[in-house]
Amino acid sequence: MKTTGEARADDRYGIEVRGVSHDYGPVRALRDVSLSIARGTIFGLLGPNGSGKSTLIRILCGLLRPTSGHAFVDGIDVTREADAVRKRIGYVPQRFSLYEDLTVLENLNFFARVYGLSGPRLLERRDWVIELTGIGPYRDRLAGALSGGWKQRLSLGAALMHEPRIVFLDEPTAGIDPVARRALWNLLFDLSAGGVTLLVSTHYMDEAERCSRVGYLYLSRLLVEGEPEDLVRLPEITPAGTRRVEAAIDGNPAPVMRSARALAYVREVTIFGNSLHLLVPSTIDDEAIQRDLSAQVPVDVSIRSIAPSLEDVFVRLTALQEDGPPAAKETAR
Amino acid sequence: MRGFIAVLRKEAIHMRRDKGTLRLALGIPVFQLILFGSIDTNVTLVPTAVFDQCRCPESRALLDELAATKTFRIERAVPNREELRAAIVAGDARVGIEIPPDYGRKRLEGTQATFLVLIDGSDNTIASQSLAAIDGWALTRSLEDLQARTGAGALPVAPRPQILFNPDTRSANLLIPGLIAILLTFSGTLLTAYAIVRERERGTLEQLMVTPVSSLEMILGKLVPYLVLAFVQLVLVLFCMHVFFRVPIHGSVLLLAGLSLIYLTSLLALGLMISARSATQIEATQAAQGVLLPSIMLSGYIFPLSSLPAPLRVLSEALPATHFVAISRGIIIRGAGFDDLLREVVALAVISAVLLTASVVIFRRKRL
Repeated sequence: MKTTGEARADDRYGIEVRGVSHDYGPVRALRDVSLSIARGTIFGLLGPNGSGKSTLIRILCGLLRPTSGHAFVDGIDVTREADAVRKRIGYVPQRFSLYEDLTVLENLNFFARVYGLSGPRLLERRDWVIELTGIGPYRDRLAGALSGGWKQRLSLGAALMHEPRIVFLDEPTAGIDPVARRALWNLLFDLSAGGVTLLVSTHYMDEAERCSRVGYLYLSRLLVEGEPEDLVRLPEITPAGTRRVEAAIDGNPAPVMRSARALAYVREVTIFGNSLHLLVPSTIDDEAIQRDLSAQVPVDVSIRSIAPSLEDVFVRLTALQEDGPPAAKETAR
Repeated sequence: MRGFIAVLRKEAIHMRRDKGTLRLALGIPVFQLILFGSIDTNVTLVPTAVFDQCRCPESRALLDELAATKTFRIERAVPNREELRAAIVAGDARVGIEIPPDYGRKRLEGTQATFLVLIDGSDNTIASQSLAAIDGWALTRSLEDLQARTGAGALPVAPRPQILFNPDTRSANLLIPGLIAILLTFSGTLLTAYAIVRERERGTLEQLMVTPVSSLEMILGKLVPYLVLAFVQLVLVLFCMHVFFRVPIHGSVLLLAGLSLIYLTSLLALGLMISARSATQIEATQAAQGVLLPSIMLSGYIFPLSSLPAPLRVLSEALPATHFVAISRGIIIRGAGFDDLLREVVALAVISAVLLTASVVIFRRKRL
């Protein structure tokens, strides 16, 4: 390896990001992001649109050169040896990017050949991919005629033909139905069990909770990173002297939400289906909250204490970023 | 190498599946050849108006002899000079002839008989050929009269002109070899102008960019299938030229086919370079148009290269069409061989190499 002391990769990690920033002209898309992802894990990258998720993935795939910082994929510096990295990674872009006028088999053959596979080895890998994705019944169908879910599985299949050690998926489940989503995630678990490192960006909290680690990007900064169980226990999520409660509402939650916002002691309120999640001081008991919430609106409200969810974590962190003092990370630049 | 084969096979499938584009690619040049190839550039039957004030046998003989040259067609008689002029202004006639009342008398006396010829100068070709026809007729008639009157024998000087390569001056024989070069410029450049930008727009380029396929493999893999298609185009067009328009090919057909491969390569490379630079298909179309118009105007197809000012001649040298117009005319009309065309062949090869290198470099710069 020709990398020098300062920029040597740590072999325990499939993906390592060190102080990466990226500018699109005057727009800063990533700010000093650092991240280490152990081999064989599924890492969930979360964040609102425009927070820099796709930019980070495109840098790691060697499609963009970061303005500053280093990134290692499978131990190789992407910024210096993008060609070597390309042979070891699979990439499933956000938008379907296979050839719609080619059949499933023709697409798989093409990507296999581009990676230098041929003959029996190609057939062997193709059979493996078909078996894994279950796309066999559609092998002769044009890719453009597949449903969204099958397109995504074909994309993943094409990205796996050359047995990559690291796979990047940019919002792979956007716009596909729940059954197809579950099928795709089962595939990802199989891959991870086989030692493949996966980096998946997503909008869905339920998907984030399935990941072994998650990171939250907000306004081009990585606000937090860790295992989901650890994140929900972060002190700033439920500060000392506060607790989280769920108010289940028998009826329309919107008017109750307005009452909750009007209460001086409610620190934070988020709507979840027919219930509200509130952050309140520990000194206020369930009965008091129930009374206050139903005072204005004649509905049944039942209160219980809950642990914060990942969504609570991200909502809280976002709120702290927006009106609280700057986070520690920001002072680094 | 493997990447090249993979891209080539993929492109071949795209091409086979896109039957509409395939049909257009093969049909349009043939259609255009048939359309434009039938233009006759020789000036004949120019609409002519007459204001005849003499109305004598001599004036009628003048008009009959002019009509017999086939250059003029006497279409109408007008009653005065104003209307003669008005007919030309309105575009109803290109030439107006006014014969004075004393024309017949002077012809009989043997003194100089004059008549007025108005020529529409707004079309240069018609004006110059009409003038030449009138002058030619007047000179011949004068000489014959003088010979008869003086009893002189043969004319003192008589050239024996021999027009090489196209003895019957069929304009198709001259027009079509150049036209082929121009038609191929359009179809060839446009074939590949979308090859990369289409993938960029559809998002498939993003997936391709993360694979280890090299820029050279990409460019060549896209070029070769289109080269085959463009060559089929060329063969079809040559076939039509020979069969429909009966244009004789005086040189070697094999040499023409071989040199056309270099020409087609340069056109496809130009298209790929445009495609690699462009962000959208619309941008590629506009860029292609920017190259195509100069190819018509500056390639020597319409205007002789010697009439271009120096800076335009440099530009003209850089256009592949310029060299293939020369090669195509050379082989088809003059029967030129490889040695005669060496300069053009070298120029085309250099242009091809530069354009191919540029496409690869531009394409590579868009990835890491």
